[in-house]
Amino acid sequence: MKTLLLTEEGRMMADPAGMGGGSLNAATRSGTSKAATSPAENYFLARRRTLQVVVSSLLTESGFESAEKAAVETLTEMMQSYITEVGRCAKANCEHTARSTPTLSDVVITLVEMGSNVDTLPVYAKRSQRMVITAPPVTNAPVTPKALAAGQKRTHPGYVPSHFPDFPDPHTYIKTPTFREPVSEYQVVREKAASQRRDVERALTRFMAKTGETQSLFKDDITTFPLISARPSTIPYLSALLPSELELQMLEETDSSEQDDQTDTENNPNIMRDDAGADKENTVLPPGGVVPSMKTNDENMIDNPYLRPVKKPRVRRKK
Amino acid sequence: MNRKKDKCFESPRPYKLTHQVVCINNINFQRKSVIGYVELTLFPTVVNLNRIKLNSKQCRIYRVRVNDLESPFIYNDPTLEVCHHEAKQRNLNYFSSAYTAAVNAVDPDTGNGELSIKVPSELWKQGDEMKVLKVYIEFSLDQPKGGLHFVVPDVEGSMAERGAHVFSFGYQNSTRFWFPCVDSFSELCTWKLEFTVDASMVAVSCGDLVESVYTHDMRKKTFHYVLPIPTAAPNISLAVGPFEILVDPYMHEVTHFCLPQLLPLLKHTMSYLHEVFEFYEEILTCRYPYSCFKTVFVDEAYVQVASYASMSIFSTNLLHSGLIIDQTPGTRRCLAQALAQQFFGCFISRMSWSDEWVLKGISGYIYGLYLKKTFGVNEYRHWIKEELDRIVDYELKTGGVLLHPTFVGGKEKDNPTPHLHFSIRNPHTLSWDYYKMFQCKAHLVMRLIENRISMEFMLQVFNKLLCLASTASSQKYQSHMWSQMLLSTSGFLKSISNVSGKDIGPLIKQWVDQSGVVKFFGSFAFNRKRNVLELEIRQDYTSSGTQKYVGPIKVTVQELDGSFNHTLQIEENSLKHDIPCHSKSRRNKKKKIPLMNGEEVDMDLSAMDADSPLLWIRIDPDMSILRKVEFEQADFMWQYQLRYERDVVAQEEAISALEAFPTAASRLALTDILEHDQCFYRVRMQACFCLAKIANAMVSTWTGPPAMKSLFTRMFCCKSCPNIVKTNNFINFQSYFLQKTMPVAMALLRDIHNLCPKEVLNFILDLIKYNDNRKNKFSDNYYRAELIDALTNSLTPAISVNNEACTVDSLNADVRLILEEVTRLLNMEKLLPSYRNTITVSCLRAVRTLQKNGHLPSDPSLFKSYAEYGHFVDVRVAALEAVVDYTRVDRSSEELQWLLDMVHSDPVHYVRHRILSMLSKNPPFTKAAESSLCNEALVDQLWRLMNSGTSHDWRLRCDAVNLYHTLFGLSRPSCLPLPELGLVLNLKEKKAVLNPTIKPEQEVDVPEPAPDLVFVSCKDEHFPMKEELVLSGVALAPQGLKRKAETPLASPPEPGQVLPEETVFKGLLKSRFPTQEEEDIDMDTVHDSQAFIYHHLNMLERPSTPGREPPAVEPQALMPTPAPPAPTFAKESSAPSRHAGAHQHHHRHHHEHKKKKKKHKHKHKHKHKHESKGKDREKERDPHAFGSSPARSPSLSD
Repeated sequence: MKTLLLTEEGRMMADPAGMGGGSLNAATRSGTSKAATSPAENYFLARRRTLQVVVSSLLTESGFESAEKAAVETLTEMMQSYITEVGRCAKANCEHTARSTPTLSDVVITLVEMGSNVDTLPVYAKRSQRMVITAPPVTNAPVTPKALAAGQKRTHPGYVPSHFPDFPDPHTYIKTPTFREPVSEYQVVREKAASQRRDVERALTRFMAKTGETQSLFKDDITTFPLISARPSTIPYLSALLPSELELQMLEETDSSEQDDQTDTENNPNIMRDDAGADKENTVLPPGGVVPSMKTNDENMIDNPYLRPVKKPRVRRKK
Repeated sequence: MNRKKDKCFESPRPYKLTHQVVCINNINFQRKSVIGYVELTLFPTVVNLNRIKLNSKQCRIYRVRVNDLESPFIYNDPTLEVCHHEAKQRNLNYFSSAYTAAVNAVDPDTGNGELSIKVPSELWKQGDEMKVLKVYIEFSLDQPKGGLHFVVPDVEGSMAERGAHVFSFGYQNSTRFWFPCVDSFSELCTWKLEFTVDASMVAVSCGDLVESVYTHDMRKKTFHYVLPIPTAAPNISLAVGPFEILVDPYMHEVTHFCLPQLLPLLKHTMSYLHEVFEFYEEILTCRYPYSCFKTVFVDEAYVQVASYASMSIFSTNLLHSGLIIDQTPGTRRCLAQALAQQFFGCFISRMSWSDEWVLKGISGYIYGLYLKKTFGVNEYRHWIKEELDRIVDYELKTGGVLLHPTFVGGKEKDNPTPHLHFSIRNPHTLSWDYYKMFQCKAHLVMRLIENRISMEFMLQVFNKLLCLASTASSQKYQSHMWSQMLLSTSGFLKSISNVSGKDIGPLIKQWVDQSGVVKFFGSFAFNRKRNVLELEIRQDYTSSGTQKYVGPIKVTVQELDGSFNHTLQIEENSLKHDIPCHSKSRRNKKKKIPLMNGEEVDMDLSAMDADSPLLWIRIDPDMSILRKVEFEQADFMWQYQLRYERDVVAQEEAISALEAFPTAASRLALTDILEHDQCFYRVRMQACFCLAKIANAMVSTWTGPPAMKSLFTRMFCCKSCPNIVKTNNFINFQSYFLQKTMPVAMALLRDIHNLCPKEVLNFILDLIKYNDNRKNKFSDNYYRAELIDALTNSLTPAISVNNEACTVDSLNADVRLILEEVTRLLNMEKLLPSYRNTITVSCLRAVRTLQKNGHLPSDPSLFKSYAEYGHFVDVRVAALEAVVDYTRVDRSSEELQWLLDMVHSDPVHYVRHRILSMLSKNPPFTKAAESSLCNEALVDQLWRLMNSGTSHDWRLRCDAVNLYHTLFGLSRPSCLPLPELGLVLNLKEKKAVLNPTIKPEQEVDVPEPAPDLVFVSCKDEHFPMKEELVLSGVALAPQGLKRKAETPLASPPEPGQVLPEETVFKGLLKSRFPTQEEEDIDMDTVHDSQAFIYHHLNMLERPSTPGREPPAVEPQALMPTPAPPAPTFAKESSAPSRHAGAHQHHHRHHHEHKKKKKKHKHKHKHKHKHESKGKDREKERDPHAFGSSPARSPSLSD
């Protein structure tokens, strides 16, 4: 029995004793068991197994009865490399001549370049003892997962040669709206805004009324029209005169869009500096009673008696 | 006073004040007290100046030193309690005269004062050398009720953190409330003011801040102010608080102060003040007289604007942000007013009270010029018309407003204002309404003068007055130039005649020296044959408040060929005036019609009378007479006038006239005006209301949608959905105001059932619903408030089924919707308050209207809670108004009591004032109607209120007097029990009647004519008993005095017993006499003045004796050694007592109008014939203040 072995030196040698039989099957099994992981892997494993079968049949043709697993693997690898190299070179040749699909002559040149004798190929192909192997069990090529059908696939415009690559799938570049079209009818919007605001206000005031003290317009029914009770404040003019934060915010918003003269003058930097000075006077003075520095006022040269520093008491006593 | 006479000012005081130091060492916010001293430097102008009278109220005086010598003093204030408890008088005539007497007894303009200081005898000689006297007074104020107002919010933190502040206030000359001074506008001096305040506070006062110095402990600082320009004490003010300081960016000598946190508002509000300054300085061609100006914004202000020398105190509620539209013109007006008064009122002061009109007139007039420049001619003319209407209405309602009352010389018997229930002799006795109208009339008269002499001359006069004053102000006091800074009527008229060379005497006589307005009735006919317009102008000069006008009047006739002015002469008897027409009635249709302003317009002339070329006629179009014109012309003429006359006043007149012509043509004219965006917005606003009235009058024939609805839709609603209003954009103020007004006017529409049409109500509800202010750069608070007002206007009385109580279930569906909105908005306001809480104010009004119309149970508790101290003042006033209304409708004595308690105790003076004035406007009952509210307790309470409860606030006291007058009239309230003897013998009619009004001496039932009867008789020059009355009237007073002095503790007269007249006085004075004597004992010259004290006491008791003493009694006490008064009195005591009552009244008139020589003689024929009148008068002043005091005031002395 002639066995193919992989020697320690890495060379294959025929082992007539025929040791290591049955290991091919084991390798195949382990391969299939792995194949369960993913379809793409599965495909590659299937192809490789086909190559193994081819290698094995060639070995059988050559008279081997068994082969070590590693040896078969190596040969398969070599076979694959060879085929790949043929394909690559054929492609290169073809592109070299500004084509996109290799022709027979490309392959022939490749084979010639790789040192194969092309003339003997037909004879070899027609040899009598050759083994015919069945098609590999997994025939279907891996289906690239179908992208979402989105939009129309665009064809090349007229100025792009048809051999150029197709456009990518539309989903890669078109906008796919994922929200619903809003209602833009003016009347409905206003209506909605108004009732929304009203509802919020009502809910809020009712809540406030429920949680606090109330007054009632009817003696017998205190829930229908609850009024938040009037609470006197200690400094009533503040809330009555100062604009609420909401209004200030509104003012800012409208100001940014339409500046008017009044606010311009108000923001006059010169005035701002005055105020800073005035403010400083106010804030610095009370706590420590320290005479404030006059730097702020020096800048704008305003001589106002109220901005002058407070003098230290005179040394001499009045009395 | 007498404008022919006075060239130079004569001081009523025997000294001249030159300088005053006011030093306030300590201001305690916790205790609300103030400690300080004043030092007055004065020059005696007489030899042996032994008494100095100063004004001081409510100050506790610790010591007085004159040139370092301790001096005794008396502090007596008769105004504290005008009439005394024991006097059961409850009629207003009596009170008014007593009050006038009391005020005059301390009036600095007559040389009187509450504080009388005896100059130590060591210094008497100095008088010869005219040496300077320094009067040093230490005083304190504890919880002052007037003069100074402390605002101390009740929160945590230091006083500065709490925003506590204090400021001076008062009506007219009220500085005496917070420091001793000569509280007269005519006593000028220079000032040194020192205020020591907490280091965190700022003291703002008049004049230049020289320096601020820390005290030794560094916890306080002292502000030193110097006012080198001679200034009267009433123009001195003070404000202390933790103010934020803003130096005006345009004028660095101007400083603004506001309370903490309001600085951004202050910046915005003050951003244009410099324009006002520039305007005044330009027209007056005179620089602002003071070297600096300060504005202070304080809370709980007494009035919105108060002007003092070089500073003004404003209400903090005038501050606003840039978001607010409506407040902006209001605040600007206030600032302009304040500044105008700086020139005329503060810098130039008045010589006497009767010259007040000149200053008020000039400041009001230049303020008007500012209005014209800033707000435009339309606004100005509208304002003038408004003011004219106000004064005309007021005068016709209450009788005349007299600008320049003369009290000396002339016919003293005439009370210048017999129609009024108060005296106009003194500002402190004036009703507030009257004073407001007085100011209004003053500036209108200035405008009339301008019409006469041209504005150029007018401004030259002002410039001259200011120049004179500023030259004088820089002089030293010895040069006696300071009186140039005082303006008198005569000085003003003299300047006018010097500058313009024109005689405005008749004009002054007509409008200044006389009260009343002119009432014209006009009608016309067109005489086709003669082509003449026959105009008839009649006058009503008999009803109250009117006067006869004789002189030119301008009439403008708009004809087809143009507008023509005619000046007609109004004469005694000519009513008819023929005015030739220029145009023929046949008209050329193609021709355009020229208007007054040169414009030529196309008109549709189809409406007019084919025979007449007259389009419209206007009487006195320039408002150059203070008048009311009721003119009759056809409706189409009014319509033409409205459409084509370019004067806004004419348009407004046409609108009011059209109310009487509810026709389709009027409707069209009004609608056109409303749509016409070139038209003045106020005219358009007025047209809205007129259109509503017309629509209501035409309700059965009205076609189309409710008035103004389609117009509003077109102007303010979205094109695509006409039921939704556009989002707010108030950038165009004219349309903003129109947008605000139209819904309010629309809500007044009524359908045939007299209900607001459902369509209109829903429309307004939609406006509220869809209101969207997010894109607006202005606040919509006023707009929303007006929408609530619109809802309020739409309310009609509920149809109550069998009178059941209103409950939630019985609510009408529409009302429920309204109530829903009102409650929601009112609640929202708690969370997001609007500016000045306008929405709350409108909601409160809405709730009250709902109650009044029976949709809600009538209940004041809601309003009472909003009226509490601690709410914003506008809210409080609105709530109080509702309570006042409730009090009237429900006749609730409980609420009335609550209101009166608030008048007593509320911390805010303005609120107290408003309560009383609202009660007077909307009284719970009147003298005409019976009411269960009218009872003795109420009379007593009100009497106490005006008698003693309001002595700290002159305005409030006059308000109380007004209310008393509204409720009870001049005579004794009808609810009081009749005196025991119900029968009164009417001397003149020679019959006994049921006591109609209780005479002053009603305790004793001496038969006496009722006061009003006497009143008439006194006015009547030809009353036969006159001479005799005079004589016996004089005799009466001393008689009373003497008897009282002899038997001070005489037993009260028994009811039912007819007693001789002298007992009256005995009874009245008995209880007071002894105390007075005790208190005066510390004076070494007691007996000197005792007779006067008695006399004054007497005078206070009786309506017949005002403060100004007749010479009849005075001379005796004036003698250096007290002359025995008794014999003199005794001599006259034999006068027949039956004339007593009438005499007293006569006597009173006598006093009010000063002395008339002839009578004077009569009175004194038994005595003092040798006394010269001048001497007499001078001396009389002196003892006056001593005697004028009731016993109540404490007399302090070391």
